[in-house]
Amino acid sequence: MAGALIHMKLAVMRRDISGPRSSWVFGGALVGLLLAVATIDVATLNATHDSTVRDLLAVVFAVWTLGWMLGPAYSGQPVLRGEQFQLQPIPRRRLALGLLGSAFVGVTAPVTFVAFTALVAFGIRLGAVPVVVAVPAVFLQLLFVVLLSRLTAHLFGALSRSRIGGAVSALLNAAMLVASSSCWVVFIAVHSVLTTGFSHGFSITVRSLPSSWGVLAVEAASRSDWPMTVLPLLGLALLTALLWVAWTRSLGPARWTRATVRGSGADRAAPGGRLSSGATAAVYVKEMRTWARDPQRMQSFVVAPAFAVLTCLVPLAFHSTEFLPFLGALTALMGAVTAANLYGQDGTALWLTVLMPGSERADVRGRQLAWLTVFAPMTVVLTAVGIAVGGHPELRPWALASTVALLGGGAGLLPLVAVTQLAPGPDPREIRNAPLDHSDVTGQAFVMMIMALGTAVPAMATVLAGQLLHEPALRWAGLVAGAATAVVCYALLGRAAHRALARRGPELLYLMRTGKEQRGKAGEGATFIQAMPAYRRRLFWSSFLVGCIALFPQALVPLLMKVSGKVSRVWFLALYMPNAWQWPVIALMSVIGLGSFALAARIGLSELHAQRS
Amino acid sequence: MTMQKESDGGAPTPAADGQAAAFELVGLRKTFGTYEAVGQADLTVAPGSFFGLVGPNGAGKTTMLSMAVGLLRPDAGHAKVFGTDVWKEPERAKELMGVLPDGLAMPEQLTGRELLSYLGQLRGLDKATVAGRVDELLAVLELSGDTERTLILDYSTGMRKKIGLAVALLHGPRLLVLDEPFEAVDPVAAAMLKRLLKRFVAGGGSVLLSSHVMALVEQMCDTVAVMAKGNVVAQGPLDQVRGGVSLEERFVELVGVGAENEEGLSWLAR
Repeated sequence: MAGALIHMKLAVMRRDISGPRSSWVFGGALVGLLLAVATIDVATLNATHDSTVRDLLAVVFAVWTLGWMLGPAYSGQPVLRGEQFQLQPIPRRRLALGLLGSAFVGVTAPVTFVAFTALVAFGIRLGAVPVVVAVPAVFLQLLFVVLLSRLTAHLFGALSRSRIGGAVSALLNAAMLVASSSCWVVFIAVHSVLTTGFSHGFSITVRSLPSSWGVLAVEAASRSDWPMTVLPLLGLALLTALLWVAWTRSLGPARWTRATVRGSGADRAAPGGRLSSGATAAVYVKEMRTWARDPQRMQSFVVAPAFAVLTCLVPLAFHSTEFLPFLGALTALMGAVTAANLYGQDGTALWLTVLMPGSERADVRGRQLAWLTVFAPMTVVLTAVGIAVGGHPELRPWALASTVALLGGGAGLLPLVAVTQLAPGPDPREIRNAPLDHSDVTGQAFVMMIMALGTAVPAMATVLAGQLLHEPALRWAGLVAGAATAVVCYALLGRAAHRALARRGPELLYLMRTGKEQRGKAGEGATFIQAMPAYRRRLFWSSFLVGCIALFPQALVPLLMKVSGKVSRVWFLALYMPNAWQWPVIALMSVIGLGSFALAARIGLSELHAQRS
Repeated sequence: MTMQKESDGGAPTPAADGQAAAFELVGLRKTFGTYEAVGQADLTVAPGSFFGLVGPNGAGKTTMLSMAVGLLRPDAGHAKVFGTDVWKEPERAKELMGVLPDGLAMPEQLTGRELLSYLGQLRGLDKATVAGRVDELLAVLELSGDTERTLILDYSTGMRKKIGLAVALLHGPRLLVLDEPFEAVDPVAAAMLKRLLKRFVAGGGSVLLSSHVMALVEQMCDTVAVMAKGNVVAQGPLDQVRGGVSLEERFVELVGVGAENEEGLSWLAR
């Protein structure tokens, strides 16, 4: 059973690597590996108190665990799920074992395993016995996060079937997102943490988390404190066993039914007043109805302000109110990020737009206006509240300018990102009982976040200039700059979006229908690279670039420096590592570099082969 | 229903020669990677004809129809609706036809009436016309009453086909292109759909529908085409294509189903 499922998972992975998601799979693996190396690095840090390193490791492991819990909300459900095997006469426990086995095949689990070996590195510092304790702890911890991830995905999936549940899971989601992102604040201040250590309360809280129990066991082993070595490991094993039982049970037939949403009656189906005529108004009304009825939209409506409020509340714990004025700006940013797959969420309904040439403009403008109607009032109110509660008159130009710029930037980018970065997923009716089975929107969310922040740069630069030159008028001119970029973004990016939609409508529909892009036709004089589908070309160039960076400056140059003895660190990661880790990092970089080149070569050769035949 | 009268008055007139085919597919071709989905598709639907397109699963019917109506860009060839090229003058061509694609989504969070009102407004029809047509369509297709407030997301497959047909009819087209309109539709609803389509043709409209139910095509269509492995292998008036035998027999002959494979499966007999 497990063998068959692992084979299936491998087959899906092979397809991923050659499909449109490949650049994200590859990029994600690389970023993950770098984070894993950084985690191991934490275990090798030197601090005034030994317990500080232990607490730091505990924080890092908590972040990894939160990442596993949050992951499914963005990447969609795992490819192999219990429901798919409901009609097969397989005992539930055997199925669970098989699915668990397949969960370890992929990118995330091996990367996490590498990160968790930080525990072994931590053990090496403390002696032989702690290493012996660390090895089973690594495996237990990995099993724990994998099971926890599956169960939280199940819980979120069940919640997301109704609008209220969608709101609840959005709140949980935002809380975890904030917890994991706030933890990185610790690492910005890592130098002071290393000398002063954590506060007692924080230390106790972090240590009580199950993700820290492995660290506790390893540390206790170094003190020959056997009860404290065995207890955390036993606890972790027991918890994992409980998760296993709960997950096995959850694989049965669904117990929670979906709440049915009703539409408007016959007399109210057609909009009245000013909304009763014009194509843009028609789209606007359709979009507003969708915002009101779709649990998935409800989720993005709640995540944005919840994330903003929680993010600004965390610094209050350190008596810092500087974030409060930016409540609204953060809401606008997250509102754009969570709604970025507008067209993907609609699935193949795009055919209606394709069959009505000339309606693309109305479609884009109506969606932009609906998004603004949903997010702008909330954003403005939150900015006002943040300014009123937080004080900080000096931050007002910053807060107001960024709010206005991000609202306009978000409204402009929304359709453009939705069209150009479309993440195809199942049609809404196929996932009406499992709304979280959506497409992987992680990459799209990153693109949206970076680009939206980019739209705020002119406004922020103006305010900054005013600040540096001590010109109050120039600081307030930032608000004007923000308003100007907002209008320009809304108009121009929206126009680019509806033009792209009109030009590529059939291609987008094809992508939505099949989940893959159409292979470009090799025209006269086009090189094989130009004739590649866009996603393969992206992957080809990105792996080439990664190969160049990893192999030459990050592996060969530090290698030559170490061999010649003339070491100058510059930006060579390996040379920043403790001495014992420098060679392994050089080796890792060589592997990444050669692997990237191999991938680029493979793509090139297979493409050449495909185009010749 | 008054739809035909409206469509005669409202839609643009056909090409100047007056003899333009309702729908003309010339040399449409589509290849996915190395797989040739449609090799060479030529098809002519005369004005006022009820045209049936039959073919086994995977013959390329949906791919061909998608290219013909403008949903999938063809590698070669073109399609004309009453003389207007679908890919060169999409706005005019798409105004003349109503399309029911197979298995595509709708704006799922709307009710049937909300969807039709939305599409009517999007097409720029005036409010009273939309309201009148929507009332009639929903009544004829039995989508009002109990199911008035049901979202399309919760529609059954048969209801989806019906609302799809309503969407295709709403703007009073002169040509209907229907991909598997009778699939998963119950017998009562199917009888109603048949009556509706016959009335549409009787009123001067043209229909091209695909199906793999031979009896249905035989019963309704005056012209048929048979598609196999991406090519149109026969087309013409029903009796000519049948050539004295039933359409099913002729179809099996054209498509070539080998009986020898059925010799296996001995383990199914107990």
